[in-house]
This record gives sequence, C-alpha cells and structure tokens, in this order.
Amino acid sequence: MADKNLQDTSAAAVERTGPTRRQLLELGAGLGLMLTLTPTGTFAQGKSELTIAIPADLGGWDHDYLAFDLVGLAVMKNCYPFMLEYGVKDQDGAAVMDTENIVPVFAESWEGDAEGKVWTLKIRKGVTFPSGNPLTAKDVKWSKDRAFAAKANVAGVYRLIGLTEASQVEVVDDYTVRFTQSQPSDLSSHIQIISLYVFDSEELKKHATADDPWAKDWTTKNPQSGGAYNVVDYKPGQEIVLESNPSFPSAQPRVKRVKLQVIPAPANRRLLLEKGEVDIALGLSRRDINDMRGAKGIKVISSPSNEFVFMPMAMGTAPFDNPKVRQAMAHVVPYDAIVSNVYSGNARRSTSPVPLDMPGHSAKGYPFGFDIDKAKALLAEAGMAGGFESEIAILAGDVAQERAAVLVSSAARLAGIDLKITPLDPGTLFQRRREKTLPLQIASGQMWVNDIEYLLATSLTPGGFLNYAGYDSARIVEIFQTLNKTSDMATRNRLFDEVQTILARDVPWLVLAQPHFDLPVAASVSGWVQPVDGLFRLRYLDA
Amino acid sequence: MRLGLYITRRLLMLAPVLVGVSIFCFLLIRVLPGDPILSIVPETATQEDIDRTRAQYGLDRPLVEQYGAYMAGVVRGDFGDSIQTNRAVVDQIAERLPRTLELVVLGFLLALVMAIVLGLFAALHAGRVGDHIARVGALVANSLPEFWLGLVLILVFFAALGIAPGPTGRISTGIDFEVVTGSLIIDSILTGNMPALVSALHHLMLPVLTLGVIVVAPMMRSVRASALQVMQSESYRCAAAHGLRPKTLLFGYLLRETMVRVPTLAALVLGNLIGGSVLVEFVFSWQGFGQWALRGLLLRDYPVIQAYVLVTASFYVVAFLVADVVQAALDPRIKV
Repeated sequence: MADKNLQDTSAAAVERTGPTRRQLLELGAGLGLMLTLTPTGTFAQGKSELTIAIPADLGGWDHDYLAFDLVGLAVMKNCYPFMLEYGVKDQDGAAVMDTENIVPVFAESWEGDAEGKVWTLKIRKGVTFPSGNPLTAKDVKWSKDRAFAAKANVAGVYRLIGLTEASQVEVVDDYTVRFTQSQPSDLSSHIQIISLYVFDSEELKKHATADDPWAKDWTTKNPQSGGAYNVVDYKPGQEIVLESNPSFPSAQPRVKRVKLQVIPAPANRRLLLEKGEVDIALGLSRRDINDMRGAKGIKVISSPSNEFVFMPMAMGTAPFDNPKVRQAMAHVVPYDAIVSNVYSGNARRSTSPVPLDMPGHSAKGYPFGFDIDKAKALLAEAGMAGGFESEIAILAGDVAQERAAVLVSSAARLAGIDLKITPLDPGTLFQRRREKTLPLQIASGQMWVNDIEYLLATSLTPGGFLNYAGYDSARIVEIFQTLNKTSDMATRNRLFDEVQTILARDVPWLVLAQPHFDLPVAASVSGWVQPVDGLFRLRYLDA
Repeated sequence: MRLGLYITRRLLMLAPVLVGVSIFCFLLIRVLPGDPILSIVPETATQEDIDRTRAQYGLDRPLVEQYGAYMAGVVRGDFGDSIQTNRAVVDQIAERLPRTLELVVLGFLLALVMAIVLGLFAALHAGRVGDHIARVGALVANSLPEFWLGLVLILVFFAALGIAPGPTGRISTGIDFEVVTGSLIIDSILTGNMPALVSALHHLMLPVLTLGVIVVAPMMRSVRASALQVMQSESYRCAAAHGLRPKTLLFGYLLRETMVRVPTLAALVLGNLIGGSVLVEFVFSWQGFGQWALRGLLLRDYPVIQAYVLVTASFYVVAFLVADVVQAALDPRIKV
C-alpha cells in the first residue's frame, strides 16, 4: 500500500447495484462522462503559461526502468500516452479522481469478456506521436513486449492480474490489441491505468542496437512525448518545458505551456511562490503550507486524500509476535494529538487498515483509541507488565514522521514501553524493509488501486511487496483468493467486512491518520484535480 | 625544465594516491548498510528479479573482481553507469562538474582577495579597532552555516531588495545558450552570447558571495599572522626605518613575503570547497557536482560515489601541486 505503488481515492463507499463493474468499464461512453465531470465544466482559456516549482529533476525518461521517483512518474503521467484514465468527480467541493469511473483517453474502448480474463483494447485512429508516426496496435504490442523484457515496473504489477508473458498480449488488427490473462481479475482495468502507456516504437527502434535492442540508453536520456503534453525543452537539473499536445485525443489542456523548475530547497519554493515567480510550489512541509494560508495572492487547495500513515509491526519478531502486545500498542497511540499536532488538524483519523473512502471500508477494522490503562492491562495479559524496549524507524528528514514518532514514543513511555526513534536514510530503509528487520516503522502511501483486493495483494498477504509487517493470516489469504475470482459485489462486500473483523483482531498495523492533500498555489490557479496516485494531472489546470 | 620534471613527478604520484583512495572508498561504501539494487527494483520484484538486476551491475561478483573491472574501466575513462539513472557516470561528471567548478573557483577567488585585503589591513592595524573588527567579522562569517547564510542573502537581495535573481539555478529561464565547456561564463563568451553572460553573472552573485564569506576567515587569519611575522623581520624593519613610502613597503616588502604562506592553506580551502559546496548548490538550485554525489550517497549509487571521491581526491592533489609551484615561485628559498 504505501509508497511507490499506492494511490488514493477519495470516493465514498458506494453500494453497487445495477450494472456490474465490468459492464461499467466498457468504455464507449466514458469520454463524454469525463468531459462533463471536468472541474469547471467550461474550457475558457486563462493564462497560457504556468510555472511549477518541483523539488527534484527526474531520474530518467524511461518509464519501464524508472526507479522510485515520484517526480519522474508525475512528469511521465503527463507526457506519455496512457490508454486509460480515471474520471473526475466532486467530493466535498474538491475535484478528485473517480476510481469507480474508468475512461478511455488514447483508447477508443476497453472491454473485458464475461469472465474478466480476456480484455480487448481498441485504439483511437488518427493519433500521432510528435515524430509523426501513427499510434497503432504495434506500438502497444512493442511497448508491452519491452515492459516484459525489462522485468521491472510494469512486469511487476502485471503479475497481480495474471499477465506474465509477452505472448499474452496479441495484435488483433492495426488498432486492436488483446490481453489474455491467466486468471480473471477485478483489478485488470485499474492495473492497466497504471501500466498501459505506449512508446513511439518506430522512433525507439531507430536507436536500438544489438547490445541494446530496446533502446534503453537513448530512452533514459531523451524526453518522451505524445501524452497530454509534449516535452519541448529539457535542461537537466534545471527545468522541463511542456507544451500541450495538439494530437491529444481528449479535451485539450487548458494551459498551453507549463514550466517545471527544479528548486531543491523547500524554503526557496515557498519564497518563489510568495514572490509570484512560480504559480505552484510542490513538496512543501505542512508547517510552510499552514503559514501560507491566508497570504496575499496565494490560496491553499485542500482536499481529502487517500494517503494514509501507518505503523506496521514486525509480526514475526518478539514482542510484536504477540497479538496482545500489538493491541496494547494500538492503545498507546495518541491519535487525536497526531491529527492536531502533526497535521494541524488537516487530516482525518484512520479507523481501519482499509483506508477511508476505499469501497468496503468499515470502522470495525480498528476499534482502538488512546487508553493507557487498557494498554497496561493488555501488556500484563501478554506477560509484559514491565513494558519492553524497541525502536521506531523513520525516514531521515521527514519532519511529519519524526513528529508522529515523538508523540507515539512519549505516549508509549506512559505504559512502560521504551521506543527509540531511529532515522534511516533511504538506502538503509529500503534494505531493512526488504529484510524485514524493522520491528516498528512509520510508513505512508496511497493505494494506486482503490480496492481492498489490491490492498490485500500488496500489503496484507505473504509475498505482498508492501507487507512490511510480514502479516500471514490463512483466512485472509483464503479471502484474497476468493476475491480474485469473484465479481459479485454482494459477496465482495461481505468478504471486505470479514477482512476488517480479522484485521481488528490481528492488528498488523497501527493506523495513525489520513492527512488531507494541501497544495499552495497562486490565487489565479484553478482546476486542480486530486490524483489517486499522487501524480499530478496538468491538463486540468487553469490559470 | 626542472619545474616540468617536478610537475610530472608529482602528477605521477597521483596514481598511487588515487588507487589507495579508490580501494578505501570501494570497500567503505560496501560496508555501509543499504543495498543500491533495492532502491531501483520495484517493490513487486521477486528475489529472482533482484538477483538478475544485481548481476546486470556486476554486483554479484567477488569484490576483487568488481574492483578490477571498475579500475579497468577507469583507466579507459569509463566510470560505469549510475545505478539510479542508467546514465554513464562520465557524462554526468561532464555535465555537473563545470557548474560546480565555476561556482567554487569564483567563490574561492573572492575569498582569496578578501582574505589578502582584510588580512593585511588587520596586520597593519594590529591591536586597533580595525583589526578587531576584521578578525571578529571573519570569525563570525566562518561560524555561519552556509545554507543559512545563503537563505538570508536570498531573503535580503532577492525578496526584500529585488536586486538579485531568485534561487532558480544558473541562468534565467528563456535564455538559450550553447554548451561548450559547461561553464556558462566561458561558454557565453566563446559564443558571444551577451544575455547569457549577464544572466549567468547575475545568478552567480549570491552563491559566490556565500561561498566567499564562509571560507574567508581561515585565509584571512593566515595572511594576518604571516604579515605580522614579516613586519617583525629585519629586512622589513630596516626598510621601514629607512623611511620608505608605505606603498613601497606594502608592495615591495610585505605583500610577496606574506603570500608565501597562503598557497598551502588556499589549496586546502579550494579542495574543501569542491567537495563541500553541496549545501550552497542545494540552496541556490545549482544542480552541481556535490548535489549529484549527495543523492548518489543517499541511494548507495556505488559508481557515482566512487567517481565523486576519485575526482575530488584528484582535485586535492592537483590543488596542492599548484600551491607548491606557486609557493616556489613566491619564495626563492624553495627549490622544486
């Protein structure tokens, strides 16, 4: 769930009746729906250029090989042609991506068979890359062959829906591609929203060599275009200039030109926004954002977010192998203090390991509150009345994590639990997470697919790449396997409910908070759509 | 001729120094916790994926073999590919190093000029108010964290007074320039690009000032101490007793002898600046060599860290060589 592959969704749980999800995903009418749901409903042109301060340059331009790099992923979301996308809806006055509504962008339609195993992609005709090459089925096929050959990002998530071999992707005709999964999956469309980006295969082939048949070297260094925006200038380490792509088959971006300026120091990003030198400053601390509320010429866009902050406990290691200890820990977390002190009230208290707004969320998933007496009693039941010592690992330099860790550590001391705070640099953190040697850590992230099945696949079953707690429940695995094969919403909802009952008993995580998304922008900027994956969509912006 | 031989001999000594440094660095970064491969594989990666990726970078081979392959590449001018970006390290050095050198050399020259002027001034006014002000001022400047000073200068000269550009990098956006050497000043002069030259100098103003102020203190103190010693020498006192004009005393008797001590310290300062300008680069969005190396260090990008250490070590050696030559030129008692 957290980190790289997560994303949000802030949609209230919807009781599904009527057409099945698969039917809804037959996207013939989706484009029109998306257009009507775009934030302003009009396409009046404002300022023709926006400048956005970003904290870092991207690590490379090759989506198939990009390392963990949120800036890079965000830029690519706007520059690569993605076949499918989520629609947009209003939630509490904010425009957010609608994970219940999948719409075609470069696709004409996306349709699954009755079983949900064979999916047919029809591509819009007449779309061209900046090179002038038409975007056709052979580009999709070549791109997916490349992804499987890379055995990296896309190949990893495709496994979740039973796509493991290039032969499972077939060209039917010039504008039709068929994906045949080894298993049906309700997550197919969501996974394809993440993964169905396309390279200009003719262009890349020109740069391929015998040693580098997929033109990896060239693609890493050279900006890729053809999405909502094309990259028209790139000064490594300094700025990326984007211009709207006239060949973009959906509604044209409202802002024609976007400059992304690399400004590493957060204080400078804030200063440049305050001075009107940039229109949007990304990556500011919550303290900076709070200071800027009400400042002249600046507004703070705020919306509920699916980002959630949690503390996985290493369930295979003492003392967290004892469920009583984990339950005791759940009673020593000062939840309200975290919401008010760490997030200045701009957060929602989490009430289940299943994030708020994820369909099927139930507060029964986490029936715990701050109660030191209960914590002491549970520790005594666990035979640890005297408390214990452990450590909380946090990402070095992450102020919010540090402040949350201090609050938890201070409160835990009241129950006799001594928690040392250990800041780790990214390299060490990645390694210790992989080795499962962190007894207690703070993590955060967004589920890129807003579905409990995906949450279980990634985070709460053995082998899940985000299963930092090492959680292994036979019944949860059984439910997950059932969900794999079940599209019936009544059954799914019943299983979602049971999942949360089990999680309340097993307590693999302490769920701390679900912070709002806050973004300071120039007062003239509008149209922000809160993405489910944390990757900004520039085409909705207006200025 | 003798000087040429001396320089050649010293440059040859560079090889064993760099081999030693490279071995030390190679082993040290592998002892540090943190696996570079885990930072590039997706979290969905299986152990097989991780092993395959590790093999792609040769990190599955014995250490001796890895080191041998690395040094064989270095000899050919190939520092390997960055694990994070897949780009050739040598390309990234070519892109980043000139940016840092431009900044550091100008900062160093500013500091050197300030140190000589202030040091001589303090010595000539030893024990008086001017001396105390210069010494305390330099001490305070030396005590300031560079990122803090940089931010304050930005607030004052950009935000408040509006006479400096925002901290947005090396040149204003919208100004095209051709990269020849990587140094904006040199390139804009070579290509006759006046708008780029003006913008580059404008953007250099605050970071150069920051670096200069931060490192002026030790050199100023050295100049002052050296000047005081010269002023106690028989030759200087004799010249002064003969009633020579202050200007003659300063330029004929004090300056050159005072400068004899400066090169060694200046070389140390310059070496430190090349390796330590990362915070100034961060504050001014410089995207230089130091920032590149810091990111490499955080993510355990072995080829990047190794190349950074080798390049920095080379600069130290060359800077000390230049210092020795300059010192010999200044002091006839020293033979090279």
